[in-house]
Amino acid sequence: MRTLIFATAIRILTPLFLVFSLYILLRGHNHPGGGFIGGLMGSIAFVFHTLAHGTKQTAKSYFSLTFYKYDRKPHHNNLSHALRLLRKNIVRNKKEKPIFIWNYYLLRLRPTYLMAIGLAVAVGSGLVGLVMGKPFMAAYWLKVKIPLVGSVGTPLLFDTGVYLLVLGMVLKMVFTMSKD
Amino acid sequence: MPANILLIIPLLLPLLGAITCVFMWRDIKWQTVVVSCVQLIFVGISGIMLQQVLMQGMQVTQIGGWPAPYGITLVADVLSALMLLTTSIAGLAVFMFSHVALDKSRKKFGFFPLFLLLQMGVSGVCLTGDIFNLYVWFEVLLICSFALIALGSKKSQLEGALKYVTINFIASGLLLTGVGVVYALYGALNLAELALLVRSEHVNAELLALPGIFFLTGFGIKAAIFPLFFWLPASYHTPPIAVSAFVAGIVSKIGIYTLLRLYSLIFSVEGDYAQPLLLLLSGLTMVVGVVGAAAQVDFRKILSFHIISQIGYMLMGIAIYTPLAVAGSIFFVIHNMLVKTNLFLVSGVVARRHRSFSLTRLGGVYLKHPTLSFLFLISALSLAGLPPLSGFWGKLMLAKGGFQAGNYILVATSLCVSLVTLLSMTKIWNEVFWKPRPKRLKQSTHETMGTYTLYFPVFFLLVFILILGVFADPVIQVCKIAAQEVFHSEIYINAVLKDKRP
Repeated sequence: MRTLIFATAIRILTPLFLVFSLYILLRGHNHPGGGFIGGLMGSIAFVFHTLAHGTKQTAKSYFSLTFYKYDRKPHHNNLSHALRLLRKNIVRNKKEKPIFIWNYYLLRLRPTYLMAIGLAVAVGSGLVGLVMGKPFMAAYWLKVKIPLVGSVGTPLLFDTGVYLLVLGMVLKMVFTMSKD
Repeated sequence: MPANILLIIPLLLPLLGAITCVFMWRDIKWQTVVVSCVQLIFVGISGIMLQQVLMQGMQVTQIGGWPAPYGITLVADVLSALMLLTTSIAGLAVFMFSHVALDKSRKKFGFFPLFLLLQMGVSGVCLTGDIFNLYVWFEVLLICSFALIALGSKKSQLEGALKYVTINFIASGLLLTGVGVVYALYGALNLAELALLVRSEHVNAELLALPGIFFLTGFGIKAAIFPLFFWLPASYHTPPIAVSAFVAGIVSKIGIYTLLRLYSLIFSVEGDYAQPLLLLLSGLTMVVGVVGAAAQVDFRKILSFHIISQIGYMLMGIAIYTPLAVAGSIFFVIHNMLVKTNLFLVSGVVARRHRSFSLTRLGGVYLKHPTLSFLFLISALSLAGLPPLSGFWGKLMLAKGGFQAGNYILVATSLCVSLVTLLSMTKIWNEVFWKPRPKRLKQSTHETMGTYTLYFPVFFLLVFILILGVFADPVIQVCKIAAQEVFHSEIYINAVLKDKRP
């Protein structure tokens, strides 16, 4: 499926899918939606990207951090060198070769960690109620409302955990199958 | 300890342990440390729970703070606390065994997280107070044990796992249908609420037998009751011993626990159909299991068939349904969990040393390992029910209950079956331990490493089996209290629905 049209379209569609999946996650408490469906939609983004570009490319573009290191210019002190490094890492001049490229893979193609993080977040959201002296998973809402997100509380945290868990599970399946 | 915290720990502890293990996926050493901490705390918490339940009565927590008929309820009574304590002890022993005996590749592919999740499923089944959650926990249990049986992907293992999972999915389908029918009839899923509705004059009371049969068939498959047991001996002998010991020792008895719970709270044993059916099934299960064992020549297969016959004894107590018989049934479940796990572990030690499970290829173990033979002998005699070992007391209570209720045929059957069980254990003793080692196999390789550390879990379980036999009286008293709670369902209903009805 490595057609040019598909590959180009996916580049635009992937962020769209992700944003929409977050929207579904956030509206889920009172409307149709929630962690499970949001996670499935979010995983569609990565699944399409894997279909278009291959597993390695997906891992490289979405699950890795890349840092570039440059030589210190003689007239720079520590602070301005750090600032320059920061600038160069955000907007990179293709002509200027970095002396070292450090790639850190967030998932190392092992979305199992994502599943474990999701489970831990979901369990953690339940523990809040226990700490407050109420039964496990008793809801606890913050007083303040955050614009765009709305009320923030443990149910949202639980949904986020489910989101990560589902995302990790689908990615695990897809990555494993696309390896063969 | 407040009930809110106490009841959630048996579920949270294995789950958190499993999550930690997943984070340390390749680091087996640290996984082992985590799992051993979890197991030790688990045993401690189960002990505390049993003590608290005995002192203060039933412990109830409503997850999320939603009141009982609408929210998710966790309940611990004496029966579930007893089950938890026994499974945690057996789990600790199996973990110690697996730490030494299990091969590295299985540990690397997530044996420990799966094992912990399986334990979480078991405690979920024991603690839940909601019929749909019961089904969900059974699914957790099924998926984990399926993964554990298939772990390692040997050909025979996959074959066994396939049989296991196919038949168990059918059982799960039946259970889910049963849950659906119950909800359609009564509009409730909470066990206490259902028990209340069943005891009131309800328009749909006539139809209650229908979900009852669904549940009996579903849990009958999971517990390997008479016509539905064929999957058990076909799959339990395939995985490595650490897995099959836990699955064989614990999981099938969980089905019996659930049958007891449901048939005491919702469906009644003393209806038109249930009691004769259960009596018949229990007798046939005993006989068929023990006859099947007589035909086998594989150590583990004999033990697997004996699971079936012992399930028959547990069912017998439920079928007779007098307080004494139910107490006997509960005692028998506890005894059998420990003894069966121990026998499987012994077979594992023998096989590790002599590289075989087949009775024809084994022999002369007594000469080489008298200690091990002694350990086997005590467990086997306990299984057969020789006084003063633990099996005797369970069978005594069941037989006494049967005589009091006038079920002479069933009691006679059970006594004959225990004689045949003794015969079958003697067969293993003769073939594996007593007869001289087959000559052509004398040069086979012996593995010495870790064999003596393998004795430790067997010793550990044996201590509990001996305590259960020699100091049977306190345990029997506790079982009688548990049976009393089973018979007085208003205690359960009042404990769970106390917020609703002041």
